[in-house]
Amino acid sequence: MIISVKNLVKRYGNLVALDHLSFDVEEGEILGLLGPNGSGKTTAINCILSLLKYDKGEIRIFGRPMRPDAYDIKRDIGVIMQNVAVFDELTVYENINYFCGLYIPEKEKRKRLVEEAIDFVGLNDFRRFYPKKLSGGLLRRLNIACGIAHKPKLILLDEPTVAVDPQSRNNILEGIQRLNREGATIVYTSHYMEEVEQICSRIIILDKGKVIANGTKEELKNMISLGEKITVETSAIHPEHLAALRRIPGADSVEYANGLLVVKSGKSKNNLENVLDFLKKQQIGYGRIYSELPTLNDVFLEITGKELRD
Amino acid sequence: MQVFKLCIKVLEKNKTAMLIYIFIFLVISVMISRLSVSKPQTGYADVKTDIAFLSEENTPLVNGLKQELSKSANFVTVADQTEALQDALYFRDVTYIVRIPKGFTERFLKGENVRIEKTTVPDSVYGAYLDMKINRYLTTAALYAKYGGGMPQKKLVSLLKSDLDQTASVTLKPEKVRSAETVESGGTGTTFTMYYFNYLAYVLPAVLIFGIGAIMQVFNNRDLSLRSFCSPITARNYNFQFLLANIVFCIVCWAILLIPCALLDPKHFFSRATSFLLLNSFAFLLSAGGLSYLIGNLVKNRSAISALSNVCSLGPSFIGGVFIPRLMLSDTVLKIASFTPTYWYVKANEQIEALGTFDFSNLASSYGCMAVEAGFAVAFLALGLTAGKKTRVAG
Ligand SMILES: Nc1ncnc2c1ncn2[C@@H]1O[C@H](COP(=O)(O)OP(=O)(O)OP(=O)(O)O)[C@@H](O)[C@H]1O
Ligand SMILES: [Mg+2]
Repeated sequence: MIISVKNLVKRYGNLVALDHLSFDVEEGEILGLLGPNGSGKTTAINCILSLLKYDKGEIRIFGRPMRPDAYDIKRDIGVIMQNVAVFDELTVYENINYFCGLYIPEKEKRKRLVEEAIDFVGLNDFRRFYPKKLSGGLLRRLNIACGIAHKPKLILLDEPTVAVDPQSRNNILEGIQRLNREGATIVYTSHYMEEVEQICSRIIILDKGKVIANGTKEELKNMISLGEKITVETSAIHPEHLAALRRIPGADSVEYANGLLVVKSGKSKNNLENVLDFLKKQQIGYGRIYSELPTLNDVFLEITGKELRD
Repeated sequence: MQVFKLCIKVLEKNKTAMLIYIFIFLVISVMISRLSVSKPQTGYADVKTDIAFLSEENTPLVNGLKQELSKSANFVTVADQTEALQDALYFRDVTYIVRIPKGFTERFLKGENVRIEKTTVPDSVYGAYLDMKINRYLTTAALYAKYGGGMPQKKLVSLLKSDLDQTASVTLKPEKVRSAETVESGGTGTTFTMYYFNYLAYVLPAVLIFGIGAIMQVFNNRDLSLRSFCSPITARNYNFQFLLANIVFCIVCWAILLIPCALLDPKHFFSRATSFLLLNSFAFLLSAGGLSYLIGNLVKNRSAISALSNVCSLGPSFIGGVFIPRLMLSDTVLKIASFTPTYWYVKANEQIEALGTFDFSNLASSYGCMAVEAGFAVAFLALGLTAGKKTRVAG
């Protein structure tokens, strides 16, 4: 076990940010911590790293208790915080070199590692740039390079893709998968479910400082009753039509609002054909039609009764 | 030494601004001091002031003093009664009253601690000048008494007289002598070095607040510190490197600022008096460093820091006697100024300047001033540490 968190409680005054949080991180996995804003992801990461004092609980990393002065543990951890933290006074190269130097005192070895990190995030053309001159996406890449240059065994990333363009985002996500293939265990927090679905081998969903679901994305989706969701753009639906649609076997919920008809079916039911047949028979005109399988948002919605993102 | 190197890089990034401060300072201090070296003395010497000289004994030493003072003062006869004397002061018939108590000469020559009583009107420019004259006469006399091997009093006084005439002639005929060379080394008088050291009270805080402020900006950034706390560098090592960088910066600034003085006025710079000025400026350096640390911890943005570096260097310099002689400042202003290290720094400089000879009893009060400066340094550092802790915890 790489990380073990047991009964972690963290309060800010009256607010309970982490409420008896417990989970483990296994070697070699990419664990996604998914949760809406304010659910306690950053707080959890900071407690794990001993950057924050917590009220209760036990945290072990690499099997040893984590403490502010557990320098031998820290040596093998790489951290990428939610806020970009680089020195404006240093160039891209110097920044990476500085942070790498806190871990790797040997000059020669460090030089090689810094070069690799620059390659890794694709900042070769910008090595002499000062952070102020970098675009948001490039800045995020620099932020990541600073955290991983020393080749840590465990990497914690706290929303590394916030406010990043799709191109840089893909670069970052691919990079994380590459680090994982090279042997690093990864903890990745995000409130973007698509990202978590894309790269994480296991997902923990947090809400109000509690674990509300834990498993692979297939397991999570199996937890809920929802199957297919069909959406039809149409303007000619009457209440009697809705009643008829609700009689289709397996159609659990039929709603109509703002010119959109939404038909949700139960687990492993396929009703697209039935719905189309019905529309044709009733001679109801329609525009676009699409059918979706459940997302993690639906999982979240079903468990908590609210949307993951507002 | 990653952290140390980082501090140096941050300073390098800000060096242009700091060099501009230093350059402006050099130009101003050279200009002003060239203009004003020795001027005040000539001015006072030209105008004689009225004083009362009351002596309860008549000895060569006392007469010698009276003669010495006669160069800068007219003696007015006033009845030796408290009321008459007070009236004389009140109506400005005299501005200064000297009283030599009975047995003064004997006890003085034995090396005992005896005092001349003096009464003076407040804010008197001449008063300070006469203080200086009397002080110089007596310290030199004490020196002869101590090392003269018990020479007769008459001889002592004549030696003393020729000694003092040497310097006095300079003040009386300034046009014949190049200004920077008016006073013999180790002696008294306002020299370029003296002015230069006073002006350090302006430039040192300006540069230190700017530089240390820039470092603190970087190190008090919460996100950046979090990153360092995640790394395996120990807190002790981290703080040590940070502290070392700041100390090195202070000392380098100090050294850089002293070099021009040594080059421009080597004769005085390498004199004994200057070693005390150096000691005093070091005490002041400590307080300026402490102040910079405090400001660096309190202020969160760059432009506020450079504004404060101007305010905190110029303000105390104006009220503490750097740009305007302390004698011309009112008591209220000086009282306010005494809450700044600058006041004590300038005061110590003046005391060092006024001394004819350097022995411990004479230096005691300027050591006191230096201790106050060091006290300021400790207070600033303590406040800075508390403020720093608060920002780090609150953030
Ligand atoms: N320093 C603090 N003082 C008081 N409350 C805090 C502090 N930091 C966080 N909180 C509160 O704790 C809760 C959890 O915050 P946290 O930053 O861990 O959430 P998060 O999941 O990281 O959210 P986001 O997606 O916005 O980054 C929030 O309600 C937040 O308001
Ligand atoms: Mg967060």
